[in-house]
Amino acid sequence: MLDVHKLEKRWFNYRLKRIFSPILGFSALTFVIGSSYYYTTINGGEFSLFSKAPTLTRVLGVTKEANLSDGTQPTMDVSSVQAIKKEEKKKPNLEVEELSLEPIIPIIDMEKEEKIKAVHKTVKSTKRDTSLVRAKANNYLTAKELAVITKVERVQKVQPHVTKKMKFQSTTVNYIETIKQKFSKSNKPREALLLAKAYYKDGKYKASEKWALTANKLDNSLAESWFIFAKSKVKLGKKREALKILVSYYKKNHSSKAKELIGQIKIGKI
Amino acid sequence: MMSKYEEVKNIFIDAVDKSSYVELETAAYNYSILETSLLKPLKMVLLYGKPGTGKSMLLNKLYHNLKENREIHYFNAPILSEKEFLRSIYEALSSREIPNNMRVNFDGLLKYCQKLKDKREAVFLLDECQLYSEALMEKIRLLSDTRVIKFVITLHKTEDEDIIAKEHFKTRIWEVIEMQNADEYDLEIYIQKKMIQQGFVEISNTIKKKDIKYIHAHTKGNFRETNKYLYTIFDIYEYYEKNEPKRISERKFSKKILEMAAIRLGYINA
Repeated sequence: MLDVHKLEKRWFNYRLKRIFSPILGFSALTFVIGSSYYYTTINGGEFSLFSKAPTLTRVLGVTKEANLSDGTQPTMDVSSVQAIKKEEKKKPNLEVEELSLEPIIPIIDMEKEEKIKAVHKTVKSTKRDTSLVRAKANNYLTAKELAVITKVERVQKVQPHVTKKMKFQSTTVNYIETIKQKFSKSNKPREALLLAKAYYKDGKYKASEKWALTANKLDNSLAESWFIFAKSKVKLGKKREALKILVSYYKKNHSSKAKELIGQIKIGKI
Repeated sequence: MMSKYEEVKNIFIDAVDKSSYVELETAAYNYSILETSLLKPLKMVLLYGKPGTGKSMLLNKLYHNLKENREIHYFNAPILSEKEFLRSIYEALSSREIPNNMRVNFDGLLKYCQKLKDKREAVFLLDECQLYSEALMEKIRLLSDTRVIKFVITLHKTEDEDIIAKEHFKTRIWEVIEMQNADEYDLEIYIQKKMIQQGFVEISNTIKKKDIKYIHAHTKGNFRETNKYLYTIFDIYEYYEKNEPKRISERKFSKKILEMAAIRLGYINA
């Protein structure tokens, strides 16, 4: 039986998940973007300023101070001075470039990448959770399942079916006994059917199968006898046989109940 | 008296009968190939595809369309016992019933068929052939060699069954028809036709393209899965119709119920 209220609750949870997971994903993404922005611009800027100033004074300031104090360059010849000048011309540019690029590209970007990757992963995984289209195990009989059923049937042929022992209330037993007595006197198919139903209700499927057959033999137009017989077969594990019986009944009578029952057996409701 | 949605629900009970057949472009094309192949001097025709692609339905239609005009026999359920199978073939060919204490000898049956050569040609439609044993398949093959019996067989498409098809029939099957799941367009036609055939035009009109897309995403266009899905959808509708009618609209197909049914069938993780 379909429990719609329970299903509604599950649906409500599903909708909540659908609504909140993108919001959570978005906030995580915003956080990551914000933090990476902080590292690249604010924090990165401080780091470059700190490293720029002392290095530049160290590289350029010393030569200027030397030039100012002496006015001449006593230890170096012209060619070497020119060479140094050339180097000096080149060096600061390189240093500045290195200083401005070094801390930003290799460090921040890698972190950023990792974080973005992490965000993508979480987004992907939440996406997967919410819109997952999972292949559902088929309720209908596949070839393998049919093969298993036939195997089970073969085994059942060898070993007699063992019915579960159940406790019965005295009223049920009395009822069955009463109907049995009635049937023995009247031999009416309707009473045989009542017995079949009672046994089916009590979980004695072997007996319900037998009585349904008896009812059917007496009156094969008794639709219920077909249905109880088929249902008992299903309960005894002979699903395929039950379907065969119902299909043949349906072909003759076009009964909507039979059609419905076929559907229920196929989807495993019985 | 059945409620409206109960009736709609019952349309989608998965049953192989003539009234359930829905003419689709692809199915019509496959049917025309199948029908034409029966006119050719072929020994066997193989109809194969995944479960729920409409193989049995096509076979059933073929049987009902041709049974008045030619000798055709339909085994809708596999006869797994070799003894029973040979008995059924012989009884169908000879129109005689064999007493229970007697069996059909295979060599005798072959000779019987050889005598009928050029006088008669019978078509046997065998469903679910993947369940037949290899030995029985070999006998089917030998019977087809007499050219008195032409077999149209259906197989589920799996790796094992491909092997059966290759090993047993590669030299004999001249026509192989592969059945496939429906695309979105075909699925829409299928659902609409199924409902309109039973007079539920208004409900059919409420199902929009986006709903079909959603259904297709979950069922992958498999007819059996689609039937199951729609059965569950209208089962939920039926509940609301009977218990809380104000919560459903007759003008709009409910996305909520679509999702609830998907949760119920396990298409969605919730």
